[in-house]
Amino acid sequence: MHTCPPPHDALEEWLEGHPSTNGKFGHLLLLQKEIDREALCQALLPYFESAHLDAREVFHADIGIDLHPDAGDGGDAPIEYPGCLPGTTRKGLFGEVMAGLITEGYELVGAHDWCVPIFLFRYHEDARNYLFALARNPERKRQTIGRLGSDFIGLLLDEDGAVVRFIAGEAKWRKTLTQSVVDSLMHGKKIDDPAGGGGKVHSGKGVWNDVNNDPPVPIGVRQLMRLLQEHDPDGYDAAILSMERALVLNDPEPLPRTDLIIIVGNGAATREKMNCLLPFKEMPDDYTAGHDLQLVEVILEDGEELIDALYESLWSDGGGDA
Amino acid sequence: MPELDQDRLEIAEQLRREVAPEDTLTPIQARSFVRGLQTAWEVPTIQWGNAESRSQLYDARRLLDAAAIFRKVEGEASANAILCYRRAGELLEWLTRAHDDLETFVPLELLAAASYQLGGLPAMSAALLGQVRLDSAGRRLYARFLRADFDGVIRTVTAFWRDHLDITDREAPGRLLGDDGEDKVSWYFTVELIRALGAIADALRRGDDQRLDRALAKLSALDKMAVRTLGDDASALVALLYQVAITYRDASIYTPVRALGALNPERAPRLEAFARTQFSRKRGILWTSQRHGIARLLEESSFALCTPTGSGKTLVANLALVKELLLREEQDPAPLALYLVPSRALAGEVEAKLTGELGRDLIVTGLYGGSDWGVTDYWLDADRPTVLIATVEKADALMRYLGPLLLRRLRLLIVDEAHQVVPEDNERTQADFAEHSNRSIRLEGFVSRLLAQSPDIVRIALTAVAGGAASPVARWIEGREDAQAVGTRYRSTRQIVGVFETAYGSSGRMLLELMNGRPLFVRGRDEPVYLRLGTPPMPDLSAAMRHSIYRFNELDVLWTALHLIDDDRRILISVAQQPEKTMGWYKDALELESWQDALTFEPPEDDEGRARFDETRAACIDYCGEDSYELALLDQGIATNHGQMPQRLRRLMTDLIDRGICPITVATATLTEGVNLPFDIIFLTALKRRTYDPVNNTPVETPISAAEFRNLSGRAGRPGASNGMEGITLVAIPRRPASTAPKQIPLQRRQIRALRDDYDALRRRLLAEELEQAEVDSPLALLLQSIADRVRDLLGLQGDAFLEWLEAAIPPDISDEAGRAETSEESRLADSVDELDGILLSAIEEIERLRAEGLEGAAAEDAFMQLWRRTFSAYAAAQEEWLERAFVRRGRAIIDEIYPDAEERSRLYQYGFTPYVGRRFEAIAPDMRAVIEAAQDYGSATAEDRLAVFVALGELIAADRGYGFRVRATETDRTLLENWQGVLGWWVLAPEAASPDPSRLRAWQRFVADNIEFRLGVAVGAVVARAWSDGAGDPLTVPSLDAWRETTGLPWFGFWARELLRWGTLDPFVAFALSQGLAQTREAAAARREEYETWLEAEYDNLDAEDFIDPQLFLAWERSLPQPERAAGRGNSVPVELTGTTGERGLYRVVPVVADDAINWIDAAGYVLARSKRDDSPFRGRFHRQDFELHTDVRRPFVDRTFAG
Repeated sequence: MHTCPPPHDALEEWLEGHPSTNGKFGHLLLLQKEIDREALCQALLPYFESAHLDAREVFHADIGIDLHPDAGDGGDAPIEYPGCLPGTTRKGLFGEVMAGLITEGYELVGAHDWCVPIFLFRYHEDARNYLFALARNPERKRQTIGRLGSDFIGLLLDEDGAVVRFIAGEAKWRKTLTQSVVDSLMHGKKIDDPAGGGGKVHSGKGVWNDVNNDPPVPIGVRQLMRLLQEHDPDGYDAAILSMERALVLNDPEPLPRTDLIIIVGNGAATREKMNCLLPFKEMPDDYTAGHDLQLVEVILEDGEELIDALYESLWSDGGGDA
Repeated sequence: MPELDQDRLEIAEQLRREVAPEDTLTPIQARSFVRGLQTAWEVPTIQWGNAESRSQLYDARRLLDAAAIFRKVEGEASANAILCYRRAGELLEWLTRAHDDLETFVPLELLAAASYQLGGLPAMSAALLGQVRLDSAGRRLYARFLRADFDGVIRTVTAFWRDHLDITDREAPGRLLGDDGEDKVSWYFTVELIRALGAIADALRRGDDQRLDRALAKLSALDKMAVRTLGDDASALVALLYQVAITYRDASIYTPVRALGALNPERAPRLEAFARTQFSRKRGILWTSQRHGIARLLEESSFALCTPTGSGKTLVANLALVKELLLREEQDPAPLALYLVPSRALAGEVEAKLTGELGRDLIVTGLYGGSDWGVTDYWLDADRPTVLIATVEKADALMRYLGPLLLRRLRLLIVDEAHQVVPEDNERTQADFAEHSNRSIRLEGFVSRLLAQSPDIVRIALTAVAGGAASPVARWIEGREDAQAVGTRYRSTRQIVGVFETAYGSSGRMLLELMNGRPLFVRGRDEPVYLRLGTPPMPDLSAAMRHSIYRFNELDVLWTALHLIDDDRRILISVAQQPEKTMGWYKDALELESWQDALTFEPPEDDEGRARFDETRAACIDYCGEDSYELALLDQGIATNHGQMPQRLRRLMTDLIDRGICPITVATATLTEGVNLPFDIIFLTALKRRTYDPVNNTPVETPISAAEFRNLSGRAGRPGASNGMEGITLVAIPRRPASTAPKQIPLQRRQIRALRDDYDALRRRLLAEELEQAEVDSPLALLLQSIADRVRDLLGLQGDAFLEWLEAAIPPDISDEAGRAETSEESRLADSVDELDGILLSAIEEIERLRAEGLEGAAAEDAFMQLWRRTFSAYAAAQEEWLERAFVRRGRAIIDEIYPDAEERSRLYQYGFTPYVGRRFEAIAPDMRAVIEAAQDYGSATAEDRLAVFVALGELIAADRGYGFRVRATETDRTLLENWQGVLGWWVLAPEAASPDPSRLRAWQRFVADNIEFRLGVAVGAVVARAWSDGAGDPLTVPSLDAWRETTGLPWFGFWARELLRWGTLDPFVAFALSQGLAQTREAAAARREEYETWLEAEYDNLDAEDFIDPQLFLAWERSLPQPERAAGRGNSVPVELTGTTGERGLYRVVPVVADDAINWIDAAGYVLARSKRDDSPFRGRFHRQDFELHTDVRRPFVDRTFAG
C-alpha cells in the first residue's frame, strides 16, 4: 500500500504554484524553481518508493519464480524494479506518481481531501500485441483497441470509508511543452482533413476525446479494487463495497467524479513564464463530460535528467523489501 | 469475514436475479440466443443493434464480477457463482456466434469458454472453441488451454520454442529484462506466460503435483503482475487463465485415482497409467458430476449416480470396477462384476469402451453368443477379475444356469440406466406383464433376488435425471430409506426441443419450444421462436407420394436432412414403428430424377473407413439381400437400424453411425436405448405407436412416453464436433395438407391435428416431469395392483377376500387359456398371477439353493418379507401395506399349495419360463431332448437333413403361444406363422429357400428375432441347460468343452443349436467363424470351411461326424492360424547430450522440439535440457501426445518414452 504522505516542504521548494478555480473548474500551473537536484531526489524518494512498492514486490515475486527445473524455491531476483524499466515507461510512471503527488499535495477543485491508496502503473501496451501474436515485433504498429483507461485513480472516502467521489487522472509527459505539442495531445495528431481541401486538422483522438467518452465508472476501478482486496480487504472494506456496487449493479447511483489532466514536461525555449498551454479561466468547451475538471501544467527544466536521477536513486541502498 | 459481506452479497444477488435467473432467459437474452442460432443456421436474423450487443457484453462482465463476489463470500463452490459464470458464458457465446466484433481485446469466445469452465460446463467450452477460427498462435494457445486440451497446449508451446530456441536457456528471463527495448517487459511477460501454461499443461497430464504447484505459483505471480502492468482487459485474460488452471488442479483425475491407489499400493502404478490415459483421451479433468460420484465411491461403496446423458457416468463405473475388482486384497476365486445394460447393442458399446480402458487388467465380456455358455466363455474358470456385461434377460439366464458359480465370485453390481425399473402405468404394461415380456419387472425381480442372495455386494446404479426415478432408485440400490442420489441435474450440453414444420412447396421451418426442459420464448408468452431453413423446397411429388400425409411428412424430413449434412451435421430420423415402410418410401424417393442432385454421399476414402463401409455393405447383402431397402439407403449414406435387424448387422450399422461415415440414420428407438451415438439433430415423425387389440377389434394407440422421448432427445448434441452448440430434437408436423385431392384434404387435416395434439400432450408431460414429481410407479406394485383390479372386476373380491383368493388361485383354474398369452380378461389375470409366481418361485429356488435346505413355515415367510424389502416397489413411493402381505402370502402358497414339489420347482426354475408356462413346456421337453439327442450325425449331414432337425424342434413348439411361437393378430403375422418353415429356411440359408420381398423383409426379420432366435432358442436352451445340471450334479461345476458331451449326454448339435439360430446358419463352423471375427459374412465364413477341413484331415485320423463340429477342434484350428506379425520394436530410448541442466535432479520430464537435424529435449516451461541427433531417434508419432523422461543419474544420459499417446 502507498502510505507515505506527500513531501510538502520539498514540493514548495521545487515548484512555484499558481492555482485558480472557477466553479467546477480548476487550473494549476506549477513552475520549477532553481533546485538542488540531488537534494530534491532525496526529498521525493520516500514518496516515490512508497508509490512503487506494491508493483516492485509483485514484479520481484514473479521474477523470483524460476520455472527452470533445476531452480530452487526462492532465489534472488537478478533484476531491479523499476530500475530495469525502459526510459519511456519510466516517464509514464513518473507522470502517474506526479498525479498522485499533486492530488495529495495541493488543493484542487472542490477542495477535497483525496486518498491515493495504491498506484496502478499500467504501461505495457505492447503486451496487447505480443500476448496474441506470441512473437516479438517492436516495429509493428501498436494495435490500438480501446484505451487502457485512466492513468491514475484517487478516492474521496467518507467517515465510514465508503467512496463518495473518484478522481481519475490523465498524466502526460512530453519532452518539450509547446502549444502545438499540447494541442496534438489534447485534440489528436494532425491528419489530412477528411473534409478535403488538402489541409491538416487534428484527428480528434486526443485527451479531450478520451475523458469525454470515459465510462461513468473509470476504467481502472476494477483493478484498484482488486489491489485493495489483495492488500487490505478489511481496512478498505467499505471502499471496496462502493466499487463493487458501482461495477455490478444495474444503473448504480453514479458516484461524483473529478477529472484530472496533468501535462508534465520541459518548458519551451521561447516560453514566457506565466504562459499557460491549457485553458485556465473557465471550463473549456472541449470538455463535455460534465464532471469537475482540474487541469495541471507542470513545467520543468531538465526534466528527463531529474527523472533518471530520481529513478536511479530508488532503492539504491539495495532495498531489503522484495 | 469482512463485516460488509452481507451487503456485497445483496449486490451480487440482485444482479443474479436480474440477469441470471436459473433456467430462465430475460427477453433480450432470449433474443440474443435466437440471433446466434439464426446466424449459425444462416437464416435472416431478428432486428438487433450494436447497443444491444454492448449491453450484453456489459452484463457478462458484471456477471463475472458478481461471480467473484459470490466466490469470495460463499466459497469457491458457490452455486450462485456458478449460475453467474454460466449465464456470462451464454451471453458471450451468443455474441460470438452472431459474429459480433465488439473490439474487445480478449476475443469473446475465450471469455465465454473460460466462463463455461468456471461454471462447470466444460463441454460447452469445448464445443464453442471447436467452432471458432483461431487465427493467431496466442488465440490457439489460450483456446486449447481453456478447453482442457493439454496435448494441444504442448503442441502450441513446442512450436513456439522451436521458433525461439534463443530464449530456451536458463538465463533467458533475466536477459530479456536486462536488455534494451521499450517493449521488453511485455515480451518478458508473454514469454513467461507461455512457460507457465506449458508447464501447467504438462504437469497436469503427467500428474506431477510438485511441478504443477510451482507453475501455478508462477501463473499467480503473472496474474498479479498483469493487474499492475497490463490494463483491465489483458489482465482479465490472465486472471481467467489462472482461475481455470486452479479448477483443473482441483478436478484432476489423479487426485481420486491416487486416493484409490492408497487402498493397494501395488496397483498404484497401474492406476497412474489409467489416469494418464484419461488425459490422453481428454477426460483427465473430471466433471462436477463425476467428482460427486467418485467422492462417494471413495468414502463408501453402494450408491446411485444420477446425471444427464453424456456427463461421464461411464468413468465412475470404471473406477468402481477398479476399486472392487483390482484394489481389494488378493481374492480367490477372482472377483467378478455384473454390469447390467438395457440392450444388447449397449452391451457391445460398453464392452468396447471398457476393453479399451481396462482390457489389460480385467476380462471384459459382452456375452455375445446365443448360448448361455459358449466357446468364448473362458472367463468362467479364469483366475482373473472379470466383468460380465449383460442385459437383464441374459443375466437372468446365466443365474439360472450358473448361479452358484457366479455368486461365488460376484462382488459388484452396476445397473446402467437404472431408471428403466420405473414402468409406464398403461395398458401396454399390463399386457406385457401377462405376456412375461416387461423389462422393468424383470429388472426389479432380478436385482431384488440377487440382493436377497448376496446382500453384501457393492451396488452402483447409473440413472438419468428427470422423471423422479433418482431418489427411489437410490434408496433401492443403497437399501436405506434416507439414501439420496449423487450427482447434478445440470445438463452438460444444451438441448432444444421443438417442431419441424413441413409444407408442400416450401422450405421447412423449425419452431423451437423448449430449451433444457424449459419453455423458450422471445417476447412475451405467446411468440415462439421460428427458424425458417434455407434448404430448397422439396421437388414436386407425384400425387401418390402425397396421398398419405405421413409419407409426405417423412419425405420432407429426409429431403431436409439431405441438405443439412453439408455442414457436417449428423442426423437421426427416428421412426416410431414400421421402419420398413419409411425405408421403402425413402428408397422410392431416392430414385426420383428430381432428387439426384441432392444425393452427395460418397463412401469414405480412407482405408479403414472404406473397409468398415464395405463390410457393412456385405453384411447388408448377406442378411437383407441385394434388393433390400437397407442396401439402397446405405448406398446413399443412410444407415438403418431397428430391433429386428440381425445383431451383427446392427453392430456394423451402429459403427458406421458412430464414426460419422453415414451422416443420416433411419432407426427405431431401439437404436438409442442407452447407446451414445453422436447426432446433432433428431427428427421424429410420430409420437405414437399403434397396436391392434384383438379382443375388442380396435387399434390401440400408445403415446411415446416422456421418458422415452427424453432418452431419445438426450442423444442429440455432440459438443465440439459440429456447427451447432446444441442438440436439437424436432417433431415433424405438416403445416397443411399435402394432397390436392378434395377427398383427402379433410382427412389429412384431421391427421395433422392429431399429430399436433400428440406433440402438445408430450410437451406438457415433459414440462411436468421436469419438475421432478415425487411419486413413481414400481413394477411389482403395479402387477399386484393389476391382479387385484382384475379380481375385483371379474370376481368381485376385494380386501381380505382378495388375499384369500390369492392364496389358492391356480392359473388353469382362473382361465382355460392360461399360459398361452391369450387376451381375454381371464387369461390375462391367470398369466399375471403366473408372472408373479415366476418371481416368487425363482426367489424360493435361489434361497433354497443358497441355504442348501428347503424353505418352509416362518422361515419362508421371513424370506419373502426380506425379499419384498429388497424390491424397488418397497422403496418407491409410499406403498400400501396390503402389497407386502399379498406378496408374502402368495409366496407361502407357492411352497405349500401351488408348487409344493421342490424338485418340480427346481426344474421350472431351470427352464426359465414362468412356472405355469414351464409346467406346460415340461410336457414337450423330453421330445425336444429326443430330437437333439438324435442329431448325432449333424456334423456330416446334408443341409436338408440339418434343416429337418430344426423343423422337428420347431414343430414341437410352433403351435403354442405360451412357450412357443407367438405372433400378433394381424393377417401378415398369421401368414408368416403358417409359413414358419419357409422363414426358418431362409434365415438359416437352407438351399433353395425363398427370400422375402423387400417390403416384407422386416416382418420376416421380426419373426426370426421373436420366434426363431428367441422363442425356439429359449426352448432349446432350457432343454440343454436342464441336461447340463442333471448331468453335473454339483452346482459349482465349471462348464468345460472337455466335459460337455459327457455331462449333458447330448451331441455337439445341442451345444451349437442356439448359436446357429442366432447367426442364421445350419453350419456350426460358420457360426464359429462369425463369432470369432474370422469372416465377415456367412458366405465368407462358409468359404473357410474347406480350409478348416483340410487342416482337420491333415491333423487327425478316423474323423466322425461329431469331429466336424467339435468346438474344441475349431479352437485348435483357430490357434493354428498364423498370427499377424507385430511391428518390430524400434527401441524406446535415445542417448542425449546435456546442454541446459546440471542433471542434479537425476530425472527430468521433457518434451521434444525438433529443429533442423536435432531434437531439443525441453522442459515444458521452455528450457532446453538436452539434445540428441534427429537421425538417432527411435521415436515416431505425434510427440505432443507423448511423455518422455530424461535420465541423468546414469553414466550416459538418455531420454526414454514413458507414454506413447
